[in-house]
Amino acid sequence: MILDHLRHRRRVSFLAAGVLEGRERDETLAHVEACARCRTELGELRAVVAAMEADPLREAEPPVPLAFLVGRVEREVERTLVPAARPRWWLVALPAAAAVVAVAVLLPSLVARLRPAPQAARAAIPPSEASPLLTEDALARIERNLAREHAARYLSEAGEVLVSVAATGVDCDRADERLDVGEAPERSRALLERRALVVSGGGEAVASARGVLDDVELALREVADLPSCVKRRDVERLRQEVESRQLLMRIRLMTRELEG
Amino acid sequence: MEPSGGGGDRELMARLAAGDREALAPLMGRHYRRLYRIALSYLRQPDDALDVVQEAFVKVFQSASRWDGSAEAGPWLARITVNLSIDRWRRNRRRAQTFTPLAADDRMATLADLSPAPDRRVQGREAGERVAAALLSLPERQRAVVVLRHYQDMSLEEIAGALGMSLGTVKSSLHRALGRLRASLAGEQP
Repeated sequence: MILDHLRHRRRVSFLAAGVLEGRERDETLAHVEACARCRTELGELRAVVAAMEADPLREAEPPVPLAFLVGRVEREVERTLVPAARPRWWLVALPAAAAVVAVAVLLPSLVARLRPAPQAARAAIPPSEASPLLTEDALARIERNLAREHAARYLSEAGEVLVSVAATGVDCDRADERLDVGEAPERSRALLERRALVVSGGGEAVASARGVLDDVELALREVADLPSCVKRRDVERLRQEVESRQLLMRIRLMTRELEG
Repeated sequence: MEPSGGGGDRELMARLAAGDREALAPLMGRHYRRLYRIALSYLRQPDDALDVVQEAFVKVFQSASRWDGSAEAGPWLARITVNLSIDRWRRNRRRAQTFTPLAADDRMATLADLSPAPDRRVQGREAGERVAAALLSLPERQRAVVVLRHYQDMSLEEIAGALGMSLGTVKSSLHRALGRLRASLAGEQP
């Protein structure tokens, strides 16, 4: 009897789960009829299944309307596309800007060379204007300005994230004293992914911002680890940390400096 | 189950694969409720479940070009949702281990909520909470099998397809999971 019971034990589970059919089902039902232990087991398993099938979560409705969720997904898709696009934008924009400057500078002198000019006017052109003017210095200046603009934008966005966390007063779980920090953790993660490009891509151009960038990184890492519904005391701790480092003021000053 | 197959899903997936973001909203309209219920049954936390659904659709958009056009979208979406739910569960558990004092408070509160209260022993809600606690104590994959079977009414074959498991593994997982649940609810050591 015990051996028979063990052989049918799996089938009793499947019978309770409603996945047993045909001959196997008939055989198992016949076995259960003759096996008191199996009947007890089947009864208990059916109670488990019935409890799950009565669980209101089976029919739970999402707590937000579809349009809201679609908006969140579209914003997230947009955000995931932006970091990937940035390096391409960077690589394309710089040579394009250089090419535009080169054409603007070289075209008049090229036209002047091709068109026969009056002797007196030709004599008036200084030798320096007859040669290309896009020097390495000019290129380096463009590159430096782009790097600083990029760093300023990064710091400005990081500041917005930190302010949104520090200023949040929206309860998401009043009983448990939790506050809603919205999308700040996701935004922090996206910013941290861009950080390497800002720091290593910026090189000496953003050297003066290194201290602020390091402190911002630490703060963003803390925010990135938060759930969207966070204990009030954790928000308070983060707020105090930001205040003690005067981080928001330093971000504002450094952003202005980088933007020139 | 909500509509999972048919030309609608395929057409929307093909549009997504071609980078048409306009296809996202109708695809979400067809599946978001079902995916939310899968994530919620797995995680038992509405906020986490909503985040998982959001992540799932972002992932769908990102990997639409790699989707096998001959496959049904429904099981594929279920698989993404289950995998993300498992990831979220692991991340929450890691956080609980890293931030011990805070997490310990939370966990104790959760366990206290779920443990049987003597004065409410006969109430149906308490039974539901005990089922929830028993489900959360299951190993990750066993819980996924139980959720898809008993919260989504999927057949064993559909579950095997959705989770990328063999039919035999699904059967073993279901048998073990039900045994554990029975023991947990009976107050035995599973």
